[in-house]
Amino acid sequence: MVGLSLGEKHFIQGGIAQDLRSDARKRLTYRPIYVETGVIPQANGSAAVKMGATEVIASVKAELGKPTSLHPDKGKVAIFVDCSPTAAPAFEGRGGEELSAELSTSLQQCLLGGKSGAGAGIDLSSLSVVEGKICWDLYIDCLVVSTDGNLLDALGAAIKAALSNTGIPRVQVAAGATGDEQPEVDISDEEFLQFDTSGVPVIITLTQVGKHYIVDATAEEESQMSSAISVSVNRHGRICGMTKRGGAGLDPSVILDMISVAKFVSEQLIIKLDSEISAAEAREEE
Amino acid sequence: MSGKGGSAPHPTTYSPSPQNQKRPKSLIFKDNVDWVRPDGRGFQHCRPAFLRTGAVNAASGSAYAEFGNTKVIVSVFGPRESKKAQMYSDIGRLNCNVSYTTFATPVRGQGADHKEFSSVLHKALEGAIILESFPKTTVDVFALVLESGGSDLPVVISCASLALADAGIRMYDLVTSVSVSCLGKNLVIDPIFEEENCQDGSLIIACMPSRNEVTQLTITGEWSTPKIHEAMQLCLDACAKLGMVMRSCLKETASSQE
Amino acid sequence: MEAANPSGDLSAEMEVDAFRRLFPLRFFDRHLVESIRPDGRPLGRARDTTLALGAVASADGSALAKIGSTTMLAAIKLEVMTPATESPDEGSIAIDFHMPPICSPMVRPGRPAEAAPVISKQLSDTILSSGVINLKELCLISGKAAWMAYLYPEERNNMNLKVDKLWNFMITIVDIYCLDADGALFDAALLSAIAAFSHLEIPVVSLDEDGRVVILSQDEGLKTSNEPVNAEKRKLTLSDIPFSLTCILYKNYILADPTAEEESVMETLITVVLDSSYQLVSLYKPGGSVLAYTSALQDCIALTRHRVQELKKILDEAMSEMEVD
Repeated sequence: MVGLSLGEKHFIQGGIAQDLRSDARKRLTYRPIYVETGVIPQANGSAAVKMGATEVIASVKAELGKPTSLHPDKGKVAIFVDCSPTAAPAFEGRGGEELSAELSTSLQQCLLGGKSGAGAGIDLSSLSVVEGKICWDLYIDCLVVSTDGNLLDALGAAIKAALSNTGIPRVQVAAGATGDEQPEVDISDEEFLQFDTSGVPVIITLTQVGKHYIVDATAEEESQMSSAISVSVNRHGRICGMTKRGGAGLDPSVILDMISVAKFVSEQLIIKLDSEISAAEAREEE
Repeated sequence: MSGKGGSAPHPTTYSPSPQNQKRPKSLIFKDNVDWVRPDGRGFQHCRPAFLRTGAVNAASGSAYAEFGNTKVIVSVFGPRESKKAQMYSDIGRLNCNVSYTTFATPVRGQGADHKEFSSVLHKALEGAIILESFPKTTVDVFALVLESGGSDLPVVISCASLALADAGIRMYDLVTSVSVSCLGKNLVIDPIFEEENCQDGSLIIACMPSRNEVTQLTITGEWSTPKIHEAMQLCLDACAKLGMVMRSCLKETASSQE
Repeated sequence: MEAANPSGDLSAEMEVDAFRRLFPLRFFDRHLVESIRPDGRPLGRARDTTLALGAVASADGSALAKIGSTTMLAAIKLEVMTPATESPDEGSIAIDFHMPPICSPMVRPGRPAEAAPVISKQLSDTILSSGVINLKELCLISGKAAWMAYLYPEERNNMNLKVDKLWNFMITIVDIYCLDADGALFDAALLSAIAAFSHLEIPVVSLDEDGRVVILSQDEGLKTSNEPVNAEKRKLTLSDIPFSLTCILYKNYILADPTAEEESVMETLITVVLDSSYQLVSLYKPGGSVLAYTSALQDCIALTRHRVQELKKILDEAMSEMEVD
């Protein structure tokens, strides 16, 4: 909880109304994004993302599993978020659980597409090894290290970075297995397949304060929100998922307007994030 | 759907599945063939809704809703004392819980709480309730899905707002909720269980029809903007109609009490 | 409705309400002297009882029972099981009683009601010991002839046969949900469970390639290659059905079928279960401040006898209504 005096509240609201926020940003400007990849060596892929004082880590662990009978030609992805007690006193004990569950659900909705698997940001069919028998299961674990607002966008960016950092071992399938038998596999230690992340969307949260909406709100600004929506947009400008984060009701036309703003912002964010990720990868290789 | 299934409580037993489930169902919903919905409805037709208030006498207010095979009971308790551990608050608190019966789904489930739906129900209702009207106290909204026949969450949300009205909790407006599933190129409103299971995307709206305000909106799957526009309009129209049905249900109860 | 309210105008009614809350025992005493209860019932009469069969389509058998405003929903799911080694020719029954938070202001999510496991145990003891369900009937392939007839003409390997034989029994899992708790929970729960059993049908099944049991729908049964292993849907035969009545013992009074308010004020309860031929199945008096004379017990049993007749009729009516539909 951010304790603000009335004067401070007016200052934040007034600044947003005049398109000049407390930290000199405009309404639709992100804080500088800093990406570092390969932060957890034992994971298949990992990344840390900093946006101002908000810092999150995402790691990807790939394991061989069995596909579901409903989608025999697809792998599975699970996303979990954990809020570290170091990030905020409120996260101590079981305090962070509710927020963790909410963030996990939102990320799943934004990244994993519909129930049939269509429109998923993460290409699930590329995770199939032997149809109906073996597939890769990706476990994406995220940790909130420090929080200053806009967690969902930061988590989305961290997952995108961690996935592009992910190498999935090449698998040799032994021939000869027939019928119901589980085929034998040989997991390569040297050869890795790069994971294709071009389709992974970015998440943009628009926070409504007064009559205006802002991106990348700080914790102080979030305390003044009347409502917020998170939209995930992919490279082709298509919406891949959306959730509204409680608060007051919104007029349907306002929501449509917010979606088009989110689409506009996403183009810049994707370019920015891509260059940050490739810069981080280059640094790691050195 | 997470939280509903999980491992069977009796690991040494299994439910015999109907044989026809072996056929891949998604084939039926392909774009290139004409298909009808499993229950014979038009794409833009909702299931007939049956709503009744006062289903549970022990509660301050309650409602029962039946949309096709989806059957839900919601009880509202309070305003009552907040939990001891909670701090002073000059506005009221809203506490929501959604759970399933073990026999709600075709395969016997755990009957556990549905955390995800609980939190969405909270978000959908909080914008409509005048929390200032019951400071320091808590209103509990508990929902039990007796039978899951698809579109469970929208039915729970609509039924909960009816139960809140029955309990006399002050609200800006009733909250009505409707979802659409995207199956290939087609949008189908108020999907049933089978349709939800192979949908390419979904859009759930909860809104206050008289105020024309959306309190909750969730989209999954890949959508173009015009498609979102179309789906939202479809939902909002259905929400408005559902709102009228709910209003007449409340009026009926009120006039029968006189 | 308020017997102690002579005038009937609104202000007097409020006073009665306050009196009821502040001095519940005196409030009840005043009624009981007049041999009437706050809801207008004589002491020995149970509340109106209704039954509806087939309330849940997703279950194999279900029933909704209402005693006054106490509402119970029982649903049965069938699962295939291997019989236990000590009783190789019997299926089994599992009974679970739930009190979800919707049913009473006393139950909160995450904190299950104390009464639920107690009633759950009482129900399974009663149903199993009464012998109302013949566990041998839960065999999927009834009769040796059918079993043999299936054994030879089909070309299946031995391995599958072993599997088939093992998975030849049904476990009936009964889940009873209390939807509205207003006293006499056990009576309503037992009634709903029994009614659900009377609605239960064992479906036509067949075995698929892996030797797993699958359900055949009626129109499909004819055209598939898999032969059904049991000829037709059948109902269980219910012999000696148990019915129960809960009474409150208070001073010298016996109050049949108490409401939640009565249960909370006067704590000594006694539950009698008789079967349809009036044999005593169980008698349950969990402590309480009032000690019962044998004559009081006999009075309770007499009340239960009368109640069994009522409940039998209600169950028969519900079943015949179902057949008409």
